Amino acid sequence: MERRVIHLNVADFAVAVERRADRRLGTRAVIVSPGGARSVVYDMSDEAYRDGVRKGMALGRAKRLVRTAAVVPPKPDLYERAMKAFVRHVFPFSPLVEHGGWDGHVFLDVTGVRRLFGPPQDIAQRIRRSVARDMSLTPAWAVASNKLASKVATRLVKPRGECVVGEGGEGRLVEPVPLRMLPGLLDSEITRLRELNITRAGEARAFSMQNLETLVGSRARLLYEAVRGADDSPVLAAGSVGDAAEADYAFNGDTNDVAVVESALRLCAEGIGRELRKKRLSAGSIVVTADYCDGIRSTRRVALGPGSSNNGLFECALKGLRIAWSRRVRLRHIRLRGEGLRVVPVQLELFGGRDEKALRDSALDSAVDSLLERFGKNAAMSGKCFLARPEQDV
Amino acid sequence: MIPLVVRSHYSLMRGTAPVDELVRHAAKLGYRTLALTDMDNLYGLWSFLKSCKIHGVRPVVGAQITDPSSDMLVACLVKSQTGYENLCQIITARKIKKGFDVGNELENLGEGLCILTNDGGLLGRLREAGLDAYAAIPRKPAADSADLRKTAVKIGAPVVAAPDNFFLNPGGLKLHLLLRAIALNSSLSRLESGDAASADAWLSSPKEYEKRFSILPEALEETHGIAERCEFTGPDTTTVFPPWDGGGRTAGDVLRETAYAGAEKRYGAPPGAEVKKRLEYELGIISQKGFSEYFLVVRDIVLRSPRICGRGSGAASLVAYCLEITNVCPMKNNLYFERFLNPGRKDPPDIDVDFAWDERADVIASVLRQYEGRSAMVCNHVFFQPRMAIRETAKVFGLGAGEIAEVADKVPWFRRQGDEGLLEGLRRLPNTRGLGFGEPWPEILRLAGRLVGTPRNISVHPGGVVITPGPISQRAPLELKLDGVPVIQWEKDGAEEAGLVKIDLLGNRSLGVIRDAIDNIRADDRAFDEGRWEPEEDEATRSTVAKGLTMGCFYIESPAMRLLQEKSGKGDFNHLVIHSSIIRPAANEFIREYLLRLRGAGWKPIHPLLDGVLDETFGIMVYQEDVSRVAVALAGFSHSDADRLRKIMSKKEKELELNDFRQKFERGAMLNGATKEQVEEIWRMILSFDGYSFCKPHSASYARVSFQAAYLKTHFPAEFMAAVISNQGGFYSAFAYVSEAKRLGCKILPPDVNKSGVKWHGHDRCLRVGLLSVKNLGGETAGRMAAEREHGLYKDFDDFMARVRPAEDEARALIFCGAFDEVEPLKSRADLLWLLASRRKSDGDGLDTGVGGASGAPPKLPPDDETGLLRRQYSTLGFLCDHHPIIFYDSARVDARSVKAADVRRMVGKTASFAGWLITGKVVTTKHGEPMEFLTFEDETGVLETVFFPKTYRKFCSILDSHRPYLLRGKVEEDFGAVTMSVNDVRAL
Repeated sequence: MERRVIHLNVADFAVAVERRADRRLGTRAVIVSPGGARSVVYDMSDEAYRDGVRKGMALGRAKRLVRTAAVVPPKPDLYERAMKAFVRHVFPFSPLVEHGGWDGHVFLDVTGVRRLFGPPQDIAQRIRRSVARDMSLTPAWAVASNKLASKVATRLVKPRGECVVGEGGEGRLVEPVPLRMLPGLLDSEITRLRELNITRAGEARAFSMQNLETLVGSRARLLYEAVRGADDSPVLAAGSVGDAAEADYAFNGDTNDVAVVESALRLCAEGIGRELRKKRLSAGSIVVTADYCDGIRSTRRVALGPGSSNNGLFECALKGLRIAWSRRVRLRHIRLRGEGLRVVPVQLELFGGRDEKALRDSALDSAVDSLLERFGKNAAMSGKCFLARPEQDV
Repeated sequence: MIPLVVRSHYSLMRGTAPVDELVRHAAKLGYRTLALTDMDNLYGLWSFLKSCKIHGVRPVVGAQITDPSSDMLVACLVKSQTGYENLCQIITARKIKKGFDVGNELENLGEGLCILTNDGGLLGRLREAGLDAYAAIPRKPAADSADLRKTAVKIGAPVVAAPDNFFLNPGGLKLHLLLRAIALNSSLSRLESGDAASADAWLSSPKEYEKRFSILPEALEETHGIAERCEFTGPDTTTVFPPWDGGGRTAGDVLRETAYAGAEKRYGAPPGAEVKKRLEYELGIISQKGFSEYFLVVRDIVLRSPRICGRGSGAASLVAYCLEITNVCPMKNNLYFERFLNPGRKDPPDIDVDFAWDERADVIASVLRQYEGRSAMVCNHVFFQPRMAIRETAKVFGLGAGEIAEVADKVPWFRRQGDEGLLEGLRRLPNTRGLGFGEPWPEILRLAGRLVGTPRNISVHPGGVVITPGPISQRAPLELKLDGVPVIQWEKDGAEEAGLVKIDLLGNRSLGVIRDAIDNIRADDRAFDEGRWEPEEDEATRSTVAKGLTMGCFYIESPAMRLLQEKSGKGDFNHLVIHSSIIRPAANEFIREYLLRLRGAGWKPIHPLLDGVLDETFGIMVYQEDVSRVAVALAGFSHSDADRLRKIMSKKEKELELNDFRQKFERGAMLNGATKEQVEEIWRMILSFDGYSFCKPHSASYARVSFQAAYLKTHFPAEFMAAVISNQGGFYSAFAYVSEAKRLGCKILPPDVNKSGVKWHGHDRCLRVGLLSVKNLGGETAGRMAAEREHGLYKDFDDFMARVRPAEDEARALIFCGAFDEVEPLKSRADLLWLLASRRKSDGDGLDTGVGGASGAPPKLPPDDETGLLRRQYSTLGFLCDHHPIIFYDSARVDARSVKAADVRRMVGKTASFAGWLITGKVVTTKHGEPMEFLTFEDETGVLETVFFPKTYRKFCSILDSHRPYLLRGKVEEDFGAVTMSVNDVRAL
C-alpha cells in the first residue's frame, strides 16, 4: 500500500497567532521578541524577513532594518495552546501525528485511512477549512509519500498553497529545487556541493553513493535519498517521540550571572524530574545544552545514577552545565534533556542500608508533585528556582 | 602607623591606584612616610620618587615578592644601595628563575633589606640567617595570626602591622574585582573568595589602623622603627655608558681614527678643511661628554646589517655620518650638531637606527648575546586605553565578540579628552547612532572609564636596548619576554632617570622593500650599483615625487602627503625634507600658509628678532628645533630651557610644565618688544608640535629613504611594487597596491604552483603573485612548495599533492586562486576540488586514489562559471589579477552617469558622480571638535581623494566600510592644482 503523508505548515506560526489575537497587526511587519535591552528576535513575519530580519538577530538591529515593525513579546503559553488547538483538528484523521512545540508544523500519516476519510487531499483540505474556521489560521498543505517530499512541497507553496505529489513524483518535485530548500542538509554540505558547481537537487544526482561518501562521509545516504525525494523516516505518534524528557529555559535577553543560570537549571531539572516521576521513569544520562548570546551552542552529556529526584537530577545537570558553559559569554537559553529513559525497578534493595537522604528527597519531591498536580504548575516552587521564576523570563 | 605594604596599580591586575594618586591620598591622610611594595616589580619606582617629592612624603622603596607555591606575604623594604641591588636581583630571579624559592633567594640576597612576612617558618629561617625580618600581621590581629605571633615571641622577632591594601577607598573594590575577573578570564559572579582581596583592603587613616590594631599597639609602633631603618631614598642615577673594549687603546683615539677613515670614504681623501673642522668640533664635544664609547658601540651594531637608516637627532652628527651610522650628509643639508649634542645638554642623547623590519630581531639578538648579562631591552608599560578597557569589561559582563566590536571599534584610537565619560563621548560620535547603549552598556562604559589608564602588562619596546658595564640586574629588575628577550622593568623615561643610555634599534619595512626590489633586479642579471646611487639627483624620480605619484614609497605615500607633494609641485630633496616634517597632525593650518608662501605669497617674520631664524621654511616653524630656536631668539630662553620646551611638547602629561613655559615665553618675548598678538601667534605655532613631530636631521634621513623608494618605483615599477606587497604592512592594502601596479602598466600574473615564490616577483612590467598572498596557505607549506620545486617542476595536481602534502584548506585555497590552472589546463576548478576530496577519502581509507578507487567513478560536474571563479579568487587573494572589481558595477556606473577617476579633473567646479572602491580613510577633528573624514577611493583608472565634511560625515559614516564600492556624488574642486571631491551624497553599491 502506498504511503501517504500530509504536511501542514502555518507560516510564521507565532506571528500568525499574534495577528489572530490582535487584528490591528494586519499586514504590518511583525517581530516577536521580549523587547528588553538585550533581546533577540524569536520569530518574524514574512514582511520582516524580506527586509533582512532573521531569528536570533539582536532586536536593536532588526528594528533598524524595519523601523515600522510591530514588536510583540513572545507568549509561549498562547502559542502552545494554539498549537494544541491546531493539532486537535488533525487527530480525528490518524493516530500518527508528529508536531513540534509551537512551530506550526504537523506531519500526519494517513496511509490506509482512505476508506474512512477519503483521499488524503480531501483530508488536508478539510483540516485547513476547519482550522481556518475555528482558528482563523490558514495552513499550507502538501501530500506526498514521505515527510521530506511533503515538507519540500509546503515550502514551495507557502504561505497558503497546496500541493499533491503523485506516486513516484517525489523525484520530479525535488529535482529543480535548490539544495538549501531540502530539509536536513547541513550548510557545510550545501557549500561543499556549491563549490563543485552543484546548486540544485537534480544536479547532485550525478553523484553515486560512493561519490557522496567521499564528500560528506557517513551522511551520504541521507543526502543521496534527499536529492531524490526519498525519505523512509516514520511519522512518530504523539507520546512516542524519542525516549527523552526535555525542559528549556530562555532568559529574557541573556545573562552571565551564575546564580540566575543555576536557578534556571534547577527549574529545568525539577520540570524533568516531575515528568519522569509521573511516568515512573528514570534517565540514564543528562544532556545540557547552553546557547550563548553570540550564537554558539555547547552541549555536554553526563551519566546519571539511579533515581529521579530533583536533587540528583540537578547535581548531575550542574556538572554538565559547568562543562558546557566554559566560556564567560552570556547565555540566552539552556536546555536540559534526560535521555536513555527506563522504567524504575519496583523491587527494593535486597542488601545494603537505606539511603535516608534519598528517601527524604523522594518524599519531598512526591509531596510537591502532588501539590502542583492539584493546584497547577505555578502553585509552588523551590527557593533554589526563585531567581528564574516564570515572571522573570519567558 | 606608617603603611609599609602598599600597592599601586602597578601590582598588575590587582591594585587600582595610580602612584601619584596614592601618594597624594596618603599625604592627605596624614602620612609623612610611605612605602611602595608592588608585587614582584619596581615599575612605579620613578613616579613614586617624583610624587613623594611633590607631596612632601618620605619614600620607602620596596616590593612584595610573591611565592609561586603559596600565598604567603613577603615584603622587602630597602635600607641601602646594597639592599636595592639585592632587591633588583631578587625580583629578577622571581621573574626569570625556574623553581624560584623565596626563602633561598632571601637567604642569599637579604642584606640591606627589611623583610616582612606572615609565614612563621620563613620568619624563623630568615632570623636564623641573621636577616632583618619581621612578623607581618595583615588586616588585623585575629585568630588566624595567633600562631605567627607565638612564633615571633618564641624566636624574638618583632611583630609589625602590615595591613593589605589594593585600593584607596571602599569604592575601589569594584574596579579591583573587575581587574581580577579580567585577569582570570572570568566574570564577576564566577569570582571565588581567594581570587580577590578582602572588601576592606583599602588604604585607611592612621586612626582606623589604630582601631584595628588596638590590641597590638606595638605592631603599629614597629612600623616607625622599620621606616627609620630604611634610609634609602632612591638608587644611584649616574649615567652609565655601554662598555667598549679597545684592546688597550682609548675610545677617543679609535673614534677619531674611524671617523677620519669614514670621512675619506664619504668625501674622498683627504677630507676638506670644512669637514675636518666640523669633525674636530664634534669629536671634542663627544670626548668631553664621555660619549666616545657609545658611538663605537653603535657603530659596531650597525655594521651587522648592510642596509640601515640612522635617524633622529643623531643624523645631525658628521661623526655619525662618517661612522656610517647615518646616511645623510649633515653639512650638505645644514643639520646642526647642537640639536644632537651640546655642552649644556644634561640628559644623554640617544641614537636611533632603523634596520629592515625582518632583520631587526636578529640584530638585537646578536647584541643581547654579545652583552649577555649586561644588556636588556627597554619595556613599555601597556595601559588600558578606551578600546581595550571597553572590550575587556564587556567580556567580563559576558557580551559576545560581535556585539563588543560594534561599540569598541567606534571608539577613536586616541585617548579621550577631558572628563567626559565614555558613554557620553560615544553617544556624541556620529557613527554610534542607532547603537542605543541599552543595559548593560552604561555600567560597562562607566567601569571601563575607570579602567582607562590602569597598566595591564608590560611589553617590549620596539627597539630600545640598554647596555651597562656591570651586571644589569643590579641596576634594574629584569623580566623575560617572548623568545627569552630580557627587558628592564622601566619604560624609556624610567631608563633615562636611572642613568641608562638607550640605543634604539628599530624595524623599518621600507628598508626591506628597497632591499628586495634591488635583489629582484639583480636576480634577473641586471646590474644595480648602490655605491653610486644618487636618487635625489634623478630628474624622473623628482618628477614622480613632485606629482605625488608615490603610493608605496616610504613616508610619502599617505593621501595627505601625496596631496601636499602634488600641491607644492616640488620634487627636490630639500623640499621633501620640509614636507616630511610639516605634515604632522596639528599643523594643518600652517601647511596652507606654507603652500601660499612657497608659491610666492609675500611674508615677513612675525617679529624682527626672528629674522633669519625661519627663512629656510618661509617663516613657518617646521622642525622640532625651530621651537627651541624661536624661544632663544625671541624670548631669551637659555639653550637648555629651550631644549626642555621642545622636549616636553612630545610628552603626554605636560600641562603644568607647559603652562609655566608659556608664561616664561610671554614674559621674555614681551620684554624683547613682542606684542601680545605676536606672542599668541607664535605660541599657536609652537602648540602645533603637540604629539609627534620631527627634527630636521630625522626628516632628512627619512627623505633619503623616500627618494630611494621613489627611484625604484619610477625605474623598476614591477620589481618595486612586488617588493612593497611582499613586505606587507604599508599604508594601503595589497588590493590598493595591485591596482597601483596595474595603473603603472604592470600585468598581474596569478599564483602558480610552478612559478610563484613565497614572495612576489617583478620582471619586465609583470608581477607574479607570491604565495604569501594566498589566504589560508601557511608560511611553512609555501616554503615547502618552493623548496620542493628545486627537485623538479610539479607535473600535475597529483604530483603536487604527493610531494607537498598541503592541508586540505591550503590545497583548496590554491585551487580557488587558480594556482593549478597552468599545470592542469584541462581540468576545471570543480574537477580539482573533486580530486582533492577523493584524495582525502583515499588517504583516510588507506587506499590508492584514481578512477574507480575509494570514491568511485568521478561524476561529470557542471563547468565553472566566470563570476564564481572571480569571486573565489577575490576571497582567496583579496584582489583580482586581471580586473578591477569595480567593473562588475558597470550598470550602476552607467545609470548614475559617473565619471572615472582619470576624467574627474575635467569636472572641476561641477557636481559629479563617481563610483569607486574605498581603499583608505582618516578621521580628523575640526577646530570646533567636529569629526570629518578624508577618504581615498579608486577605480580602474586612478585614485580620487575625497573630503567628507562634518555634516556629510555625520550622515554617512555608519555605512562607510573599507574594501567595498560606493557611488559618490559631490563637488569636484581644485586646490593648488590637486583635484579632490567634496562629497555630499553616498550610496553603497
